[in-house]
Amino acid sequence: MTSRLDYKPAVLLSTPALVAIMPFLAACLYVLRFSFSADESSIAGFSVSSYQALADTYFLSALGLTLKLAVFSTVLVLVLAVPLAFLLATTRSPFLRRMLTVAILLPMILNLLIQAYGWIILLGPTGVLNTVLRSTGLITRPLFLLFNETGVLIGLVQTALPLAVFPILSATRAVSRECLEAAASLGAGHWRTLFDITLPVLRPGLIGAASIVFAFNASAFAIPLLLGGRRVQMLGVVIRDMISPMFNWSSAAAAGVVLIAITTLALVLASWATNRSAKKEVR
Amino acid sequence: MMRVGLIPDEKGGTYRLAMLALSCLGLLIAALPVVIVVIMSFAGSNRPSFPPSSYSLRWYGDVLHMLTTADANGGQSVARALQTSLLVAFAVMVISAAVCVPLSYAMARGPARLRQTLEILFTLPLVFPLVMLGIAFLLMAEGMKLDLGLWRLIIPHVTLVLPFVMRNCQSAMAGIDPEVEEAARSLGAPPWRGFLNVVVPMMRPGILAGLIFALIISFNEFTITFFMYTIDVNTLPIWMYSRTVSSLDPSVLALSVFIILADSALIILTDKIVAGKASLF
Repeated sequence: MTSRLDYKPAVLLSTPALVAIMPFLAACLYVLRFSFSADESSIAGFSVSSYQALADTYFLSALGLTLKLAVFSTVLVLVLAVPLAFLLATTRSPFLRRMLTVAILLPMILNLLIQAYGWIILLGPTGVLNTVLRSTGLITRPLFLLFNETGVLIGLVQTALPLAVFPILSATRAVSRECLEAAASLGAGHWRTLFDITLPVLRPGLIGAASIVFAFNASAFAIPLLLGGRRVQMLGVVIRDMISPMFNWSSAAAAGVVLIAITTLALVLASWATNRSAKKEVR
Repeated sequence: MMRVGLIPDEKGGTYRLAMLALSCLGLLIAALPVVIVVIMSFAGSNRPSFPPSSYSLRWYGDVLHMLTTADANGGQSVARALQTSLLVAFAVMVISAAVCVPLSYAMARGPARLRQTLEILFTLPLVFPLVMLGIAFLLMAEGMKLDLGLWRLIIPHVTLVLPFVMRNCQSAMAGIDPEVEEAARSLGAPPWRGFLNVVVPMMRPGILAGLIFALIISFNEFTITFFMYTIDVNTLPIWMYSRTVSSLDPSVLALSVFIILADSALIILTDKIVAGKASLF
C-alpha cells in the first residue's frame, strides 16, 4: 500500500490537462505546416517559397532591428535587475519587501496598454519629461523619445524587468555570507567582491534571466505596436502586417517559425552554457 | 551593522551608492508609467499636460456614466466588454485550476520520466511568442471556419495561463508528504477520498494563488485577444485600444486606475496567500 502512482493512473489524471493544451500543440503544427504551403492564403501543396521570400531586405532589416533591440534591452535589464534583486534580498522589513515586490511585479501583471499610455504621457513631445527639461532650461527643443527606437527600448526594458529580477533573486540564495565575509577579511573591496565572487556565483541565474528576457523581447508585439508608432518594425509587428493588410498568411507563418527558432535557440544556448559552466566547476 | 553583504548597510562607499542608485532607477522605470497614469486621471483639462493645471473627478464620472448607460452602438459598449472580460477570465480560472490539480498530483506521485515530459510540455506556452500564438489560433479558427463564441478567447487564454497555474499547484504538492494519504487509506478511505479530502485541502494556498494568477493574466491579456476578437466578442483591453487609437482619451486613464487598483489588490492577496513559502514565479 503506497501512494506512488503507476503510468496508467498518472496519465489518466493528466488527461484533462493534456486536452486543455491540445489546441496549443495543434496551433504549433498548423503554423509549421502553413509555412510550407505552396499557396499564400490556404494550406495546399509543399513549397519552401515562403521561406525564400523572406530573404528580401524588408524582412532582413526587421530581423536585424529585432535582434539589436533585444540585445540592448537584455543588457540594460540585467544592469538594473541585479541591484534590484540585491535590494530585495537585503530588505529586512516584510512590509517594505512586499511593497517592493508589488512595484517590481506591476509591469508584468498590468495590462500593457496602461503602461504604454503612461510612457506616451511621459515621453511625448509635450510630455512630462520634455516639459520638465525645458522649464529647467536644459534643452531648448523637445527630445524625440517616442515613436522611435528609444521609446520602444524603454518600454522593452520596463516590461521585461520583473522577468529578470525574480530568477536573479532566487540565485542570490547561493551567495553565502561566509564567502562574502571571507572575501572582506582578505581585504577585497565591495567592487572586487562583486566581480570576483558574487557575479560568478550568480552566473547560472544571470544566464537564465538573460535568455528569458532576450526571448521575451525578441518576440515583443504590444510594445513596438503602441510605442513604436508604426516606425519601429520589429518582427512581431512585421508578421502582423503580413497577416492583416497583406493577407500573405504562408509568409507570416514562415516568419513566425523563424521567430520561434530564434527564441528557442536563445533558451537552448543558455541551458547549454549553464550546464557547461556547472561541469567545469565539478572538474 | 552588516559590513558585508549584497548591499552593505554602511561604509559601502561608491559600491553602495551605485547599487542604490541603480535600484532606484529600476523602480522608477518599473512604476513611473503607472504613477503618471494615476496622476493624469485626476487632471481637469481635456488635453493632457503635466503637472495638471486643475484637478477633478470628471473622468471618473465619465467612466461610471459609460458603465451604467447602454451605448447606442452595442458592439463597442464598455459594459459589454467588461462583462466579456470577466466571463472569459472566470472560465479560464475554473478550467485551468480543474485540470492542473489532478495534473500536479500525477506529476508528484507518478513516475519520474512522466513528470519530466509533462514539465517540458506544460512550460512550452511560456516560451512561445505571444504574437505567434495569436496568429496561429486565428489561422486555425478561420481556416476551419469554426464558430466558437466566447471559446474563441477562452481556449487560447487557458493555454497562456497553464504554465503559471501548473507551477503554483506543483509547488503546493511538493510540501505534501505521501504519508498523509497512507494514513487516510489505513483508516479505510479509498484513494479518491484520500485525494479529495486530504490532499486537495492541503493544496489550497497553491490552488488559490494559481486561480488568482489565471484571473489576472486573462483579464489583462492584450496580444492574443488583439488577433482573436470579433465585433461580438471583445474584452476591456481591446475596447481601451479601439478608444485610443487616434488620441489619448482621459476617461480611459480613469478606467485604467480601476484596473490598477484591482490588479494590485490581487497581487498583494496572492503574495499573502503564498506567504513567503513559495515564489510567485
